[in-house]
Amino acid sequence: MVLLKLAALLFLANALTIGGGYAMIPMLQQEFVDHYHWLSNKEFLDAIAIGQVTPGPLTVMNAFMGFKVGGLVGALVAMFASYLPCVIIVTLVTKYYLRYKELWAVRAGFAGIKPAVVGLLIAVLIFLSQGSLINQTTKGIAVISFALLTFTKIDPSLIIIGSGILGALLF
Amino acid sequence: MLSLKKIFLVFLKIGSFSFGGVYSMVAFFERELVDKRKWITQDEFVESFAIGQMTPGPPIVNTGICIGYKLRKLGGALAATVGQAFTGTVLAILLAAFYLYMKDNLLLQAVMKGVAAAVVGLLASIVYKMFVRLVTDYRSAALAVAAFLALDIFKLNPIGILLAAGALGLVLYRRA
Repeated sequence: MVLLKLAALLFLANALTIGGGYAMIPMLQQEFVDHYHWLSNKEFLDAIAIGQVTPGPLTVMNAFMGFKVGGLVGALVAMFASYLPCVIIVTLVTKYYLRYKELWAVRAGFAGIKPAVVGLLIAVLIFLSQGSLINQTTKGIAVISFALLTFTKIDPSLIIIGSGILGALLF
Repeated sequence: MLSLKKIFLVFLKIGSFSFGGVYSMVAFFERELVDKRKWITQDEFVESFAIGQMTPGPPIVNTGICIGYKLRKLGGALAATVGQAFTGTVLAILLAAFYLYMKDNLLLQAVMKGVAAAVVGLLASIVYKMFVRLVTDYRSAALAVAAFLALDIFKLNPIGILLAAGALGLVLYRRA
């Protein structure tokens, strides 16, 4: 039952990931953390970190969360449910690309959803920062990480690994 | 015709060695598939990337599925998907097992405190870049503010908010 819910949520969240891979974060935070309490806020941040330091798309963070919910089977169900909507949608769109491209409803719907994703992510960001930026040091790490990622081309995986080392030394 | 095994192996390579987010992955795709192997042309790659951007789902995942489909139809799409996800998934599962096993370890807790703070900075940077790119006129600004308030103040469900934003988009961005 839990696995079925997990699969349904990930299917829906991935089918609504519009405007970049991070668009799934507010949906997953709401359902996995707030609603079902499968993960704590901290574990959710750790899941994002895992998705970021592992090679390949951020989507693999869903395997991490699936494992937390239902062990190995949970992880595999999570990955299957995350990729299934993408495979269905993309194969259909590739087949009918020329017609799809002309659909005004797709363009208009996406144009509405993309800025909304930004608004949702800001709200989630505020929420997540409350639990994790608990003192001057964590605030400092967050500011440095923001500045490096915004103004340089440094690899985000390196920043996460570096901040982990900093954490080990400072806390 | 390319064998599914070859498609799987190339995407396994792409999925195993592309760190650091979307743009490094895109560059990797292009190098492996267009420049080195010439499986697809530059134009096909650009079209696949465009399809990845304009379909629901993580764009980079969708770009890979689209290229796989162009190479060998549904079988190619599946081979590309599994190849692209394989290494990351295995590593994520191993890390999850390690993480849950070591949960009470003080050193790991210290490491993850630093990591969590960095992830907040990382998210902030991504949100900032998305904001600059996507919030460009009063309509998009109004949608962003409305979505923020709907979640932050009114605690509405993000899935519902996104569906509503899509419906609003149909009204706001309808061509005359």
